[in-house]
Amino acid sequence: MATPAFTFTPSTFQKLHPAEFFRRFTTEGVRPDGRLLDSFRPTTVHHGVISTANGSAMVRIGGTTVVCGVKAEVAEPRLDAPDQGYLVPNVELSPMCSSKFRPGPPSEQAQAVSEAINRVLKESKVLDLKDLCIEEGKAVWVLYVDAVCVAYDGNIYDAALAAIMAALNNGTIKVSGGTAANDENSFKLKLARTPLSATFAIFDTTLTILADPNVTEETISDGQISITLDETGLLCGVTKIGAASCSQRVLKDCVQSAKKRTLQLRGIMNQL
Amino acid sequence: MASVQNAVVPGQRLGHVQEYNAGAGTYSHQDFLYASVVGIKKIIENQGELPTLTVQRENSQSAMPEIDAIVTCKVVRVNPRFAAVNIMVVGETPCKDDFQGIIRVQDVRATEKDKVKIYNSFRPGDIVRAQVISLGDARSYYLSTASNELGVIFGTSVAGGSLIPISWQEMQCTKTKAIELRKCAKPM
Amino acid sequence: MAADRKRVAGPETSVAPLVEYPIDHQPWTPFTEKRHNSHRQPEDLRPIYLKTGLISEANGSAYIELEKTKLTCGVYGPRPIKRAGQGFSDRGTLNCEIKFATFSCVKRRGTMRDAQEKELSQILSQGLTPAVRLELFPKSNVDIYITVLESDGWGSCVAAAFTVASVALAHAGIEMLDLVAGCSASYVPTSIPSNSNSSSSSTTESSTGAGSTVTPQIFMDADLEEEKYQQGSIVLAYMPSLNQTTHVLQTGKAEGSIISQSVEHCVEACNKIFAVMNHALLESIDQKKL
Repeated sequence: MATPAFTFTPSTFQKLHPAEFFRRFTTEGVRPDGRLLDSFRPTTVHHGVISTANGSAMVRIGGTTVVCGVKAEVAEPRLDAPDQGYLVPNVELSPMCSSKFRPGPPSEQAQAVSEAINRVLKESKVLDLKDLCIEEGKAVWVLYVDAVCVAYDGNIYDAALAAIMAALNNGTIKVSGGTAANDENSFKLKLARTPLSATFAIFDTTLTILADPNVTEETISDGQISITLDETGLLCGVTKIGAASCSQRVLKDCVQSAKKRTLQLRGIMNQL
Repeated sequence: MASVQNAVVPGQRLGHVQEYNAGAGTYSHQDFLYASVVGIKKIIENQGELPTLTVQRENSQSAMPEIDAIVTCKVVRVNPRFAAVNIMVVGETPCKDDFQGIIRVQDVRATEKDKVKIYNSFRPGDIVRAQVISLGDARSYYLSTASNELGVIFGTSVAGGSLIPISWQEMQCTKTKAIELRKCAKPM
Repeated sequence: MAADRKRVAGPETSVAPLVEYPIDHQPWTPFTEKRHNSHRQPEDLRPIYLKTGLISEANGSAYIELEKTKLTCGVYGPRPIKRAGQGFSDRGTLNCEIKFATFSCVKRRGTMRDAQEKELSQILSQGLTPAVRLELFPKSNVDIYITVLESDGWGSCVAAAFTVASVALAHAGIEMLDLVAGCSASYVPTSIPSNSNSSSSSTTESSTGAGSTVTPQIFMDADLEEEKYQQGSIVLAYMPSLNQTTHVLQTGKAEGSIISQSVEHCVEACNKIFAVMNHALLESIDQKKL
């Protein structure tokens, strides 16, 4: 770029030419926040943070914070599935967490993330919905799993999925208010598997793959790929958004990296 | 830790109006000066006058255009009467949310104002350095480029190459060497 | 229901489960024990945890925790007004929105903004506007968004919202006249009114008379269990340095003397809360210096 005559502070340059600013970092193998291209941000998981919920967790990945609460209610089952309960996951991207989001109905991004997570939970049969049956054809449990994004700094899918899995994991449906734990309707949720994910941003022009993109990297990237794996390393879902092309080799590398990452994330989740 | 001793929060009483002048980050209310931002208290001595008391902000407020401020903006639309721009940087502070501004045809340059054509001065996508001349209407700030060091600082040619200024009203494409008309800023 | 199509849909209706208590279960009442948390005296507040700067994308942010009550707040602006047709204004506007997370209360809350949230948002805007120097932000807008993650008592939740919002405003570097501290109090009768049934229809003064046979105790910063027994409550928003009140919200019945006494208590408590706010903000300076 012909920029000899004008000098800018780094922050001004980043605002005016975000892609160019970013490219100058990645060609050196680092990112503006100091991470290497393939490194994920520090992650923490807290269990049971909300006492009014049946199960809850808070997950922080770098600057992204998601709080998830599970609320159990009772409803009539569907006619075509009289012995199955409901699992209703939703991701809320409120205007509080970033200036990208406006008040009102859920943004397209929120709908997309909610739907992607719903698909993973449903297709990989995380929870046996028959466990949620109270009386066949009459009453079943509904699990409302709401993940509220408190602070948004990119990679909401990984954070929301991890928060939802952690919240379901410590979810207990308690019908008895006292200490009598032997009530037959009270039980702890049993998860068949725990899918976790790793997300990568794709840059078409420079063919760079970045692990765990933050919000600025997300906005200038050409596409994103999310790989969801369960604890045995089986794929539960691969989602690619954006128009970026992605070779088979890149996809393989991402899966390998995702395996490592989800293993590490599982370790963080299992410590208390 | 000496500076933390002088750290103040909004509402903190700093002194008497007879002792100090109210500077930035402070206000006076019923004979007293109070802090209005979180920051470090500073006293600037004025010879012969009362010393000015200021509070240097610790968490800088997000940038807002003010009259006379130099801003950097991107042209989004042009029409014969004005060029509409998004104000991206105020001084050296980037705005988190872009503010809207317009450069009216009479504010493009200082001389021969009646000969100015907007489309010979700015094109959508150009990065322009301008000065805020008024708060404008409900929506847009009014900006001016009527000065040598104000005008287009970056541009992309029709062919997609970047433009280099060759005079105060012409720029050349680095790819095709074609000349395009702009109100250029004098490089500093 | 346009908005529901934008979310993963559950069943059309569902109800909260009825909680069964064992026979020997004895819930807390104000007649047996002093306060729900037995360590607290009537005038004691819950310990406050307050921290700034958790939302990196916001201009300013804060998080507050009063034991189980947890709120986060993000402040954006001053930023250009997006809504068209408002006309030129040489003052800024303050827009405040509070949202309860669906899992924040005992009963699940809806995903749409309900009337209570709208009312609360307005109360907060009114209580915070006097403290902000809006004349410095012509034709701009400051947005305050609050999310209640968990609520343990309505009054304390509103009070905490005032506190957390004003700390977030200060953290955003927005010029203010003073911080606003919020405090709540409930009037809880501590003995069972002896003649609650017999006198209710006898005299014209019965509505106040029946309750006032028992002088209620003022519980500062009441939690949910205590609120169940309250006759009324007060939420006070107060600027501690300027010694000015920006908002009073009094509900329920109480004698004038009780109300003025509770206002005094709240002012006193606000000064304590102010010390915590002060500390949290000065801490944010230290963080950057180190």
